[in-house]
Amino acid sequence: MAGPKSSSKPSPASSETSVAVSTLWKSYLDQTPDRLKFIDAFLAFIVLSGVLQFVYCVLVTNFPFNAFLAGFASSVGQFVLTASLRAQVNPENRSEFKEVSPERAFADFALGSIVLHFFVFNFLG
Amino acid sequence: MIWQFSWLLLAATVQAASLSLQSPRFTISASDATQLRSDTLSLTKKPEPLTLGATDTLKLTFQITESDEGKGVQPHQTFLRFYDKESGEEGIQPIRVTPGGKAKFELNMMRPLTSIPPTTHNPLEVSLILGSFVHAPAQYDLFDLYIPASHTPAEHPDEASFHVLPAIKHTFRPEQKSPPQFISAVFAAAVLSPWLVLIGLWSKIDVRVPNLFSLSIMPFTALLGAFEVLLVWYWVDLKLGQVLLYGGILAIPTVFAGKQALYATGEWRAGRK
Repeated sequence: MAGPKSSSKPSPASSETSVAVSTLWKSYLDQTPDRLKFIDAFLAFIVLSGVLQFVYCVLVTNFPFNAFLAGFASSVGQFVLTASLRAQVNPENRSEFKEVSPERAFADFALGSIVLHFFVFNFLG
Repeated sequence: MIWQFSWLLLAATVQAASLSLQSPRFTISASDATQLRSDTLSLTKKPEPLTLGATDTLKLTFQITESDEGKGVQPHQTFLRFYDKESGEEGIQPIRVTPGGKAKFELNMMRPLTSIPPTTHNPLEVSLILGSFVHAPAQYDLFDLYIPASHTPAEHPDEASFHVLPAIKHTFRPEQKSPPQFISAVFAAAVLSPWLVLIGLWSKIDVRVPNLFSLSIMPFTALLGAFEVLLVWYWVDLKLGQVLLYGGILAIPTVFAGKQALYATGEWRAGRK
């Protein structure tokens, strides 16, 4: 089941999406544990980093292309690893991940990150 | 080989009779049948070179006899050889000889024989070659012949590959250039700005790490940091074999430290819960 992100929505018309969004945001801030917020901040950082690299590639130049690919792939890969860590560590998801303890999830995350970094540095040149 | 050849010669001479050419005559006539030149050929001295125009006809008549009896004979091979000494081109034309030894040859320049070799402005040396199983072979140099120069033969499609081909000029794509330094600097700052965002967000989140420096956690985080340092070192200096070796060596304590650290955190989580 999803975490605390799906909170009770108000009943006003759909044009009041801004109200819905602000209520969502407020409940996120209130109900999400700090550790998950910590990981979420990291996720936001990764997304921003990847988007900026892509914008540079589109606007200015894709030279050297291997460097762009390495950087962008590191953003995407790290996002995937961190998102899966967050999903496995979230206490609300315990019923879905019975065989995987949070410690095991973190160990997987650490190993996957190191391997990802190795390949990224290989390609970075 | 030489022994066999000498036997053959011996056999040929023992067989006796040799061939001889009797009364060779040539006639050059124009297209309207007027005679331009006519003469007998001497076997000892070549006549003035003959000239054939593009519409003229050359007629040659002679008889072949056995020298001692004077009887006409039909040799097994009678060839007229056209040879260009300058270019080395040669053409052989067989001539039909009657059983009585009489022969007639005609060359009409309007319909030239295919055996005529390609010619330039140099004359062709015309000679008669006779071969026989029972006579000694004979060759007679008859005359020099000027005929119109032939067209140059069509170039063979593969001709070019037998000569040095022209040098290939490669045009390479121009080297890719880096953008101007200022733009690079601006975008470098832009791409590093998410770090500021991250630090800002993390400072707002009140995350407590009470046990970060405890003895059970510290080795694990330190070894993970060491892995990252190894990878950066690989980026600047190391080779693949070295980084894999060092990584493999570093992995062993990391596994144990990790097991210990995560067991501890698992206990705290269970204890706290």
